[in-house]
Amino acid sequence: MAEIADISNEFIRQEIDEFIERADERERIISLFSRSSPGMQAIAAALIDGDNELVDELTQAALAAGAEALEVMDYGLIAGMAIVGVKFRQNFIFVPEVLACARAMKAGMKHIDPILSASGIEPLGKVVMGTVKGDLHDIGKNLCIMMLRGAGFEVIDLGVDTSSDAFIDAVERHQAHLMGMSALLTTTMPNMGKTIDAFIDADLRDGVKIMVGGAPVTQEFADDMGADGYGKDALACVALAKKLLGVESRT
Amino acid sequence: MNSRDRVLAALRLEPVDRTPVCNPTSVATVELMDLADAPFPDANRIPELMARLAETSYTELGFDTIMPVFSIIQESSALGCRIQWEQKDNWPTVKMREPIWETPDDIRIPADFLTHPDTRCVIDAIKLLRKRYGNEVAIIGKTMGPWSLGYHCFGVEPFLLLSLDDPGKTKLCLDRMKEATVQFGLAQIEAGADALTLPDHATGDLVSAEYYERYLVDVHKEFAERLPIPLILHICGRTVDRMPFIAQTGMAAFHYDSKNQPAESMEAVNGRVALVGNINNPETLFSKGAAEVRAEVYKNLNARVNLVGPECAIPLQTAIENLKEIPKAVRDWHRERAA
Repeated sequence: MAEIADISNEFIRQEIDEFIERADERERIISLFSRSSPGMQAIAAALIDGDNELVDELTQAALAAGAEALEVMDYGLIAGMAIVGVKFRQNFIFVPEVLACARAMKAGMKHIDPILSASGIEPLGKVVMGTVKGDLHDIGKNLCIMMLRGAGFEVIDLGVDTSSDAFIDAVERHQAHLMGMSALLTTTMPNMGKTIDAFIDADLRDGVKIMVGGAPVTQEFADDMGADGYGKDALACVALAKKLLGVESRT
Repeated sequence: MNSRDRVLAALRLEPVDRTPVCNPTSVATVELMDLADAPFPDANRIPELMARLAETSYTELGFDTIMPVFSIIQESSALGCRIQWEQKDNWPTVKMREPIWETPDDIRIPADFLTHPDTRCVIDAIKLLRKRYGNEVAIIGKTMGPWSLGYHCFGVEPFLLLSLDDPGKTKLCLDRMKEATVQFGLAQIEAGADALTLPDHATGDLVSAEYYERYLVDVHKEFAERLPIPLILHICGRTVDRMPFIAQTGMAAFHYDSKNQPAESMEAVNGRVALVGNINNPETLFSKGAAEVRAEVYKNLNARVNLVGPECAIPLQTAIENLKEIPKAVRDWHRERAA
């Protein structure tokens, strides 16, 4: 079993020691970083620190030095986000800090994406995401999208105020097998159920798993409306997406 | 004691004959809109309809307060934000993906801020209500704090990133936007408001307690000094970690969410600010029945929460019967204690 001493980057070691409390997560994260190079650990550390300029610089340097794009993504960017996600879930950091990490992730991904697209590497799965009709709030949905992309999913973001027809159209057009709906308002929560009903009416419900989330949404509400799963936060959303599609992370 | 006296006494932490029932955010529901013939979106834009829908909280539900400002967008509209007004079954919302400001230098409070139809509507509705009800029931106005205005005018993500990247500029933004809060608040006081709700969504779902202390404690203290009637701070979500800071601001009350337990919240504020709340909206008032509503009312009363009511703006599809259960349960609790 990997030990924390196997990780060369001091900042990463401190982050794990200070913030990763659950034994299973600690073991998984130590194992991940113990297999990554010092260069990848430096990218992850810059991402955790929310330093988008440094992530940009280190990503470019790593690729120029011959690192594989997939290695930079999995062992640099996604590995960094694994720690960020846990810190957020445990209230060690809040949304502004996560947004800064997401910005850093984006700074790295802008160099990775074109290479991965050209090489035809398959994503873990395809997910259609949107905030339901009548609701213009999107910060929770955006955090979920960022974490899903960080975990290796391809996400089609429908934005806010999304009608049932737009969800159906996107699922069909992109042949997605997973869809996520978000709502912040108690007035718009029922539109999640209406959208699920629209999938049933269109005879498409069996072909797509549907997950829901948002501040006022609960597991009970999700069950009542016939959703396949409820995610309390962005980290739970990623775990749920993997479970519903039956996939595992590459690392 | 009449309703107004009861509410104002509770906000001053003085003894009351029974716990007042109060919703400092919104009591509007679709059923009440039908009863008052005052539907959304017009009830957010026409003073007579706004007043007519608001007064149902007193005349139909038996609450001790009337709150005519159902949304959180009136002054943002007057500042220039684009609004999606929606229909009868949904609240209006600011189009935050289309921010109007990027830097502190962009912040301008328009000359017509208080005569804009959407701020004027609130001011005129309060005047109508004061004329109709005199000193019988507490009339509560609402003026948004600068943190919430920041979300509306800068967009949520840009504003939160700014708060991390440049605390100095963020404080400058708050300093400039707070004048809108004060101006709108003073206009409502002049129109006859007895108290003002001051929503400022520095919620635990978004930012830390340290953020509240760093950015908002001083601003909120200033509001308590400059707005000379009781202020009810409203922040959704988990907030118990920042309640000790809120208790230092001089706000009369804090309207708190059901994510915080009544007893732990009372302990956190330690008698330095009144608490209003915290009947759960989506799971209890919206989805369950009178028995569950009653249980939550009792839980608050047992913890000696100062004013009881829904945790936030009531879901528009909530059944009136569940809302009527709140004052009924409060009366029963006091009767049982007296016996």
